[in-house]
Amino acid sequence: MTTTDGTRIVLAAGLRLPQARAGGAYQKEDAGHLGARAARELIARAGVDPATIDEVIVGSAGPPHDQANIARVIALRAGVPHSVPAHTVARNCASGMQAVTTAATEIQAGRGSLYLCMGVEVMSGYPLLFNRKAVGFFSRLARARSVGQRLGALASFRPAFMAPRIALTEGLTDPTCGMIMGSTAEVLARDFGIRREESDAYALESHQRARRSRDAGRFAREILPHLPQGAKNASAALIHDDGIRDDQSMERLAKLRPYFEKPDGTVTVGNACGITDGACAIFVSTEERARSLGLTPLARLKSFAWAGCDPSRMGLGPVYASAKAMSQVGVELSDMGSIEINEAFAVQVLACMKAFASEEFATVELGRSRPVGTIDPDILNRNGGAIALGHPVGSTGARLLLTTAHELEEADTELGLATLCIGGGQGGACVLERWAA
Amino acid sequence: MIDLVGIPQPNDAPEPGACVRIDRPKGPDGKDLGLCRIHLDPPHRKMPVFDVPLLRDLDQALDEIALDDSVKCLVIAGRDPLTFAAGADIETISKIDDPHVARRFCREGQKLFQNLYRMGRRGGGKLRTVAAVGGAVPGGACEIGLACDLIVIADHQKTRIGLPEVLLGILPAWGGSQRLPRRLGIVNALGAILAGKLYPARKALKLGLVDRMTKPEYLWEIADKIALGQQECRHRGRSGLGSRLTDKNPLFAAFVANQAQKGVMKKTGGRYPAALSVIPLVVRAPRVPIDKGLEAETEAIMPLTTSKVSESLVGLFLLKEESKKLAALPSGEKAARTARAAIIGAGVMGRGIASQMAERGIDVRLRDLDRSQLDAAEHFHRGEINKKLRRRRMGKHEAAQAIDRLEVTTNAGGFARCEIAIEAVAEKIQVKRAVLGELAEIMGPDAILASNTSSLSIDEIALELPHPERVIGMHFFNPPRKMPLVEIVRGEKTSDEVLARTARLALDLGKTPVVTKDCAGFLVNRVLGPYLDEAVRLMERGVNPILIDRALKRFGMPMGPCELIDEVGLDIAAHAGASLEAAYGERMKACRYLAPLLEAGQMGKKSGAGIFTWSGKKKSLKKNRKLPKPKGRFSMSEEAIIDRLVLAMVNEAARALQEEVVSGPRQLDLATVFGMGFAPFHGGVLRYADTRGHEDIVRHLEAVREEIERFEGVDGERIGRFTPVESLLQSSKSGILFHHAAA
Repeated sequence: MTTTDGTRIVLAAGLRLPQARAGGAYQKEDAGHLGARAARELIARAGVDPATIDEVIVGSAGPPHDQANIARVIALRAGVPHSVPAHTVARNCASGMQAVTTAATEIQAGRGSLYLCMGVEVMSGYPLLFNRKAVGFFSRLARARSVGQRLGALASFRPAFMAPRIALTEGLTDPTCGMIMGSTAEVLARDFGIRREESDAYALESHQRARRSRDAGRFAREILPHLPQGAKNASAALIHDDGIRDDQSMERLAKLRPYFEKPDGTVTVGNACGITDGACAIFVSTEERARSLGLTPLARLKSFAWAGCDPSRMGLGPVYASAKAMSQVGVELSDMGSIEINEAFAVQVLACMKAFASEEFATVELGRSRPVGTIDPDILNRNGGAIALGHPVGSTGARLLLTTAHELEEADTELGLATLCIGGGQGGACVLERWAA
Repeated sequence: MIDLVGIPQPNDAPEPGACVRIDRPKGPDGKDLGLCRIHLDPPHRKMPVFDVPLLRDLDQALDEIALDDSVKCLVIAGRDPLTFAAGADIETISKIDDPHVARRFCREGQKLFQNLYRMGRRGGGKLRTVAAVGGAVPGGACEIGLACDLIVIADHQKTRIGLPEVLLGILPAWGGSQRLPRRLGIVNALGAILAGKLYPARKALKLGLVDRMTKPEYLWEIADKIALGQQECRHRGRSGLGSRLTDKNPLFAAFVANQAQKGVMKKTGGRYPAALSVIPLVVRAPRVPIDKGLEAETEAIMPLTTSKVSESLVGLFLLKEESKKLAALPSGEKAARTARAAIIGAGVMGRGIASQMAERGIDVRLRDLDRSQLDAAEHFHRGEINKKLRRRRMGKHEAAQAIDRLEVTTNAGGFARCEIAIEAVAEKIQVKRAVLGELAEIMGPDAILASNTSSLSIDEIALELPHPERVIGMHFFNPPRKMPLVEIVRGEKTSDEVLARTARLALDLGKTPVVTKDCAGFLVNRVLGPYLDEAVRLMERGVNPILIDRALKRFGMPMGPCELIDEVGLDIAAHAGASLEAAYGERMKACRYLAPLLEAGQMGKKSGAGIFTWSGKKKSLKKNRKLPKPKGRFSMSEEAIIDRLVLAMVNEAARALQEEVVSGPRQLDLATVFGMGFAPFHGGVLRYADTRGHEDIVRHLEAVREEIERFEGVDGERIGRFTPVESLLQSSKSGILFHHAAA
């Protein structure tokens, strides 16, 4: 992508915090603090004067109710001056990627040249809600004036009022098709005939790859260690994603029961991504601006695309979006040296691989004569994916871009693809190009 | 009319009548409302204080109003809503040394405020009088408010009201000790006066110290309306049955007085007479007529005004105010605020400084090579902030931001935008040079490079650094969040601008800066060195450390020397002693008595045992059984112990003054009080010497020296520390005291 005068858009710098299983290390974290921590460190490392940032854009699928525009909260808490505006974007699992593409669009339109883009999600903080009936009860009680009215209102209490609505499950359920995300994955398993064992094998590989990369120090270049708020005295900072299971095995995976469709389903908690907390920050800028700031960009943003699909098969979103993003700049899947497909579910990634390679899918769904291409499993998610590393929904989109950008250099290749499926039936994809001066 | 003849005046006193501005607001129809507003607006003061010109003009204005029948109501206001007055002029008080003049200054002030009171309805007059106050309203400023019928206060974070006189060794003597108990009741009034507490607006309203709170923008308007009777305002002070049962009940009063007395004795050991003499005054106030009360007030303050304690405390107060001027640039402007700072080294000092900065609104980046040190620093910082949150000293959002502002890192990057770097790494010159050298490359050429060294020379550290004019010493004391002093060590090449910016930073952190020369130990450690070493030597001779500590605590030190050594750490103390010895030779020769403990790893509080054994957080203060065997048994009187330790310190302080380590005796005293807690009622090391008289000091120094020579042999190598320095010998003959010579 370039601006109107031909300057290329780049990911100028980026980092992320370790991702932690929800209810774990970041249990007492506050999304504002988590985001501010990442933003502050990135601003410091980049040596950018925060007053010169054009806007702070943060993606978050479920910002805390007291931080609805969490971007502004993060910006101010990170020491960005009042004069710099900030807004929050949401596209469910792709919110973090949305922050980056929004910035790219703004830069393209000539509205600015330096954007602090982030994804942040503290799923630990998702609340339990009072149900409608209970809310009615409380408002009756509040309206009651006389003692009689109050007693009457109190008497209308029913035990059913105590049943909470769980924001997490409701948030992960598509209100238009009524399916929870895991069920949409089961649809793909049936459509593409993917067996439980295949999914489990894929999940195991994800953990093994993540473990190898972690032990090789690959993540040190993107992760900022973080001592969580509310951590016990004398505890140490979290240095790595804590979802990687060193002792994962086929036997262990096989023991798990299907979670969404009992008894014959294929999706278990072992071959799906975990509920996770995390934050990721990226400076999106132009090549020129980055140079003037003395920054060596991580990668160039070559193209991006968003695409819609059947909500009950939302897992196939990456295929639609990637085809679109690549065709925009005339590159093929085979040109990609590194590919990140978010691992919402093992079966969903496997289904995407099949769809990418399928001629029928290409003709019927994408309106093209040839299949999009075959993915070499070796270049797909080389450091493991969300099954091991976790999937803090709002943050993942940005995290995939950060990982892909680093991967271009690690794998010594020119082009990379970062793509993910989005609840509600969409896909997002970005093509990154290795930056060369 | 009041009579102010003979009371010291400021040199720049303006023309009569210039210090108050009288406003007669008119109604919308242009008619006179009968409202008169007096603004305290002395042109010669940035912050108005009740000095002779202001009292004179206020008196004149009140007299005119009393004769003017068209005036129906009166508002006393400040220059602007958040500038009222800072109370009685401390400088005037400090200049008075004739007790008759002091009595008059007190009486005439009382009379003026009493006149105001009599004009108001509560005092039986015809006017409705309202004080419209805001910003700082301490002492006399609060007392003028108390003399009005009602007080309206500005709701602003800068607003503080109260009677802090006791903290200066005097008491509220313009009617405050009489009117406050009438308003608050004796229990609350005693609490307020004894603690000298200044209350924020909301708290003052809740307490009943003021009657109405409003935003500063509306302050005068509301005060006018209340004075005109257009708006209701209830007097929130005490009245009726409640006060008859308590404040007017002699039994209750006696009980309160007794409890308060006990409390004060326990806290101060009776060394602050002001607190003791204010108690009977306050508890009796509701039961005596105001005139009698005011007389008693005068009698009570008289011995205090000329007392040494008050002189010491007032001196310290003035000096602390003066230290704020250090932040002035050569151009006269105040140096800019530091917005972003770097701290290198996350040990106890580094983390404490960083935490204080983050709390005070400065973005701070803390670096340490050891991740676990950074973790500990973050835990410490969050703990401190959460403590404040629990005590409601901070709001939730303020606490969250204070926590956010601390960045921690193991890497060298990210310091480019820091305006100052303070290193708190190991006390090794190569390490410090390397650390600051690395920063010099990343940071801008005008960024300050500061060292928190306690024993190395700033000039030597600066030697190979580019732009040595921006290298400076910023010596915090342990624990840095609590200790109020910062020694700012000026190197040979340090620029004035860098000095002012560093001082501003210290002030922004709530510290008192004192500028010192670049000599070993700077000021505080240099003076403290012989004091602590003598304590160790007494132990070696066989004096029980518990007795040593008891003597010095009774002298007024906040902590005994042996406990202090344990607190600091035997290793740190030994290192400091060695560096003093290296710099000053024989007279600073450090005693090796504690070396065996050090070798055994018993380094004081941090390792659980040193001179004493420390169990947990509670001080057990039992003598450590592993303490080396002393040379013999030896007992000494408390006076002898005090003389030996304190005189060693006095002599070194006199020497430091002679060598101009600080700019004057007042700065030296300030540093000793804030840096080592030298008993504030003594006013500092030099003022203590002045009080005792230099002849007495010299005589006792020589006595100690003789005693040492007799018992330890003539080779008592440290004898130099008890040889009176030249300036002391001279002044003991001439009778010129340190503080006189400076004045």
